Amino acid sequence: MAYSFPEEVLEHVFSFLSSERDRNAVSLVCKSWYDIDRWSRRRVFIGNCYAVSPGTVVRRFPEVRSIEIKGKPHFADFNLVPEGWGGFVLPWIAAMAGSYPWLEEIRLKRMVVTDHCLELISKSFKNFKVLVLNSCEGFSTDGLAAIASNCRNLRELDLRESEVDDLSGHWLSHFPDTYTSLVSLNISCLASEVSISALERLVGRCPNLRSLRLNRAVPLDRLAGLLRRAPQLVELGTGTYTAELRPDVLSSLSGAFSGLKELRSLSGFWDVVPAYLPAAYSVCSGITSLNLSYATIQNPDLTKLVSQCPNLQQLWVLDYIEDSGLEALAASCKDLQELRVFPSEPFVAEANVALTEQGLVSVSEGCPKLHSVLYFCRQMTNAALISIAQNRPNFTRFRLCIIEPRSPDYLTLQPLDVGFGAIVEHCKGLRRLSLAGLLTDRVFELIGTHAKKLEMLSVAFAGDSDLGLHHVLSGCESLRKLEIMDCPFGDKALLSNVEKLETMRSLWMSTCSVSFGACRLLGRKMQRLNVEVIDESGDRPETRPDNCLVEKLYVYRSVAGPRLDKPNYVWSMEEESPELIRS
Amino acid sequence: MGRSSSSPSSSIDSTSNLTPLSPSSPNSSSSSSSICLSSNFTSRTTRRSIRRDLSTDLRLGLSISSSPKHVLPNNNVVSIQRVDNQQRPDWPPIKPLLRSALSGRSAEERHGAASSLFVKVYMEGVPIGRKLDLLNHDGYANLAETLAHMFKAPILCPNGSRAHSDKHYVLTYEDREGDWMMVGDVPWEIFMSTVKRLKITRADRC
Repeated sequence: MAYSFPEEVLEHVFSFLSSERDRNAVSLVCKSWYDIDRWSRRRVFIGNCYAVSPGTVVRRFPEVRSIEIKGKPHFADFNLVPEGWGGFVLPWIAAMAGSYPWLEEIRLKRMVVTDHCLELISKSFKNFKVLVLNSCEGFSTDGLAAIASNCRNLRELDLRESEVDDLSGHWLSHFPDTYTSLVSLNISCLASEVSISALERLVGRCPNLRSLRLNRAVPLDRLAGLLRRAPQLVELGTGTYTAELRPDVLSSLSGAFSGLKELRSLSGFWDVVPAYLPAAYSVCSGITSLNLSYATIQNPDLTKLVSQCPNLQQLWVLDYIEDSGLEALAASCKDLQELRVFPSEPFVAEANVALTEQGLVSVSEGCPKLHSVLYFCRQMTNAALISIAQNRPNFTRFRLCIIEPRSPDYLTLQPLDVGFGAIVEHCKGLRRLSLAGLLTDRVFELIGTHAKKLEMLSVAFAGDSDLGLHHVLSGCESLRKLEIMDCPFGDKALLSNVEKLETMRSLWMSTCSVSFGACRLLGRKMQRLNVEVIDESGDRPETRPDNCLVEKLYVYRSVAGPRLDKPNYVWSMEEESPELIRS
Repeated sequence: MGRSSSSPSSSIDSTSNLTPLSPSSPNSSSSSSSICLSSNFTSRTTRRSIRRDLSTDLRLGLSISSSPKHVLPNNNVVSIQRVDNQQRPDWPPIKPLLRSALSGRSAEERHGAASSLFVKVYMEGVPIGRKLDLLNHDGYANLAETLAHMFKAPILCPNGSRAHSDKHYVLTYEDREGDWMMVGDVPWEIFMSTVKRLKITRADRC
């Protein structure tokens, strides 16, 4: 049975496969398909920068144009990963500088990027177009100046949530006057002031600019000038939204907003003064995405703003919206797909706003397309969770956080096992789940039983014993990422499910009951797992007996072996032996 | 890539290799916890126990033992209540930019309003500057008075007449756009919202 399409035909067919997983599957069919995929793969996604070495990637896929790499574990966002842990992108840039002269796109998340890396990028890739640095750190505005000066074809510069050493705003002026190809600019994380006139000139000469996210330092009275130069904007992030109330500024701003006929996304709104909100009303009917995470407005102004956006699909807002605002949202925004509600006073136990479980119930009742939720609140009941689950079986992402850990159902004082059980039972497509409140091993049994599509699970202050972890590891067939903090899970569950760990991208456990002995055993037995213990005491690993508990554990599959760039507080357990094996 | 395993995952029998390894319940491992403590380790443990003790639920008056690594608060009663404004860096799980925006804002709200607005003040010819809280002043006259006192120089009150020269100084400021302007032309509130720093220059220069 010899069929053979010419390679070009197969290559053309493969070009329609946009999903990484599909391309990976295709490459496993036979040697010839492997080779065709190998030479035609233009886009690579590396979910964990330590799972494979840059050299391996560059050798296998010689014609890549776009790469996305992720570094630190997700819990690094919450200060759980110490400084200097890793995620250095330099080896990747160096490898690609040599092998991918035509590289166009680099997207990095939670990685350490130095100015040297940025300079290398700006000089090595002649057709470089897209740089996205999501939650990255290690670079300064000098590095940005290099990008601005040298990347003639740059389309996208997005620094979202990154920590930048902000020396001055002068870097923006490094874009030459001949540079006109900017499509997307996100500098919202920068603290320093950029020259507004330089920004105006840049915006004015880039006719394809679609997305502009300013930083807080851009004053409100200069916003109108910028908007008038870019009426084609689709996404806008304002700077500070406060100023002395002056009628001329207000009317100028209103006029500028009304010129933005294509605007679909709004964000920014630092320090917002309600009096200036009406300036933006003219665009609200077209808005599909609204990010008010930094907006200090309260009801009724907040609800009024949100209710003006009937086409809203994505809303990020502080809990100032309260239950009443969420009810109004449920009534007016029938296209809502994603809702995130953040706490305005996260470090205070008592509620400062009238936001309860009821708000989430209202939205789940009223918004048929809602499938992704992140909700911070101070109280929850099983009844509410059951109701939410029954209303919205289409949830794909459900993340709840109750400010006070281990909070029970406040009406019945029971654990929230049954409520979350309903979520996983009804929402058969659930891919991401974050648990909250008082939870026993029972909830994990339910998760293991029902959450067959679950890919990422986040757990804190939950469970009673190893059985909880065991249920998850043995039952959740699609699990890729598991992150656990402050739970009584230990060796038994871990060592009973070692093969499972190789099917996952990573496991994070901090302040649990895992012993050094188990880690050593795991590291030694499982060659394709990197078992890293984080221990900041300053001691050496040899001083730890097997029965000593580890502070933090990060286990991830890798074909690259133990990494060579570890700081002295990260210990590779592959290089250790449990005592009894040693002696 | 998430291949489902139909057979039970293979396990490593920990009990045969590591007999001292106790089952995961924290209470039983506490008896051997003393072996782990080295001198450096104790200080870190003490630091952690301080953190844990602060997070005790004060109403219930519970305390956590001094080796928190080996006795975990897995009972339901102990809560991680914050003491006053003591913040756990890892809870609630909020990303850094939003966290710092909310912390800053919380402090402000608690005090009712922004508590201070310090700006740098330089006098021409004097390399070392001073700092001054504008919110402590209610107008230009007040400001000029304070500055005259601070720098021991006759500063023209911005609202006053401009008849004098060379022996007097005037007050200028840098605004948000980087331009240097004479103090006193705009209402005090607008001045406050746009001033970045002050400079005292000789009157005959303006």
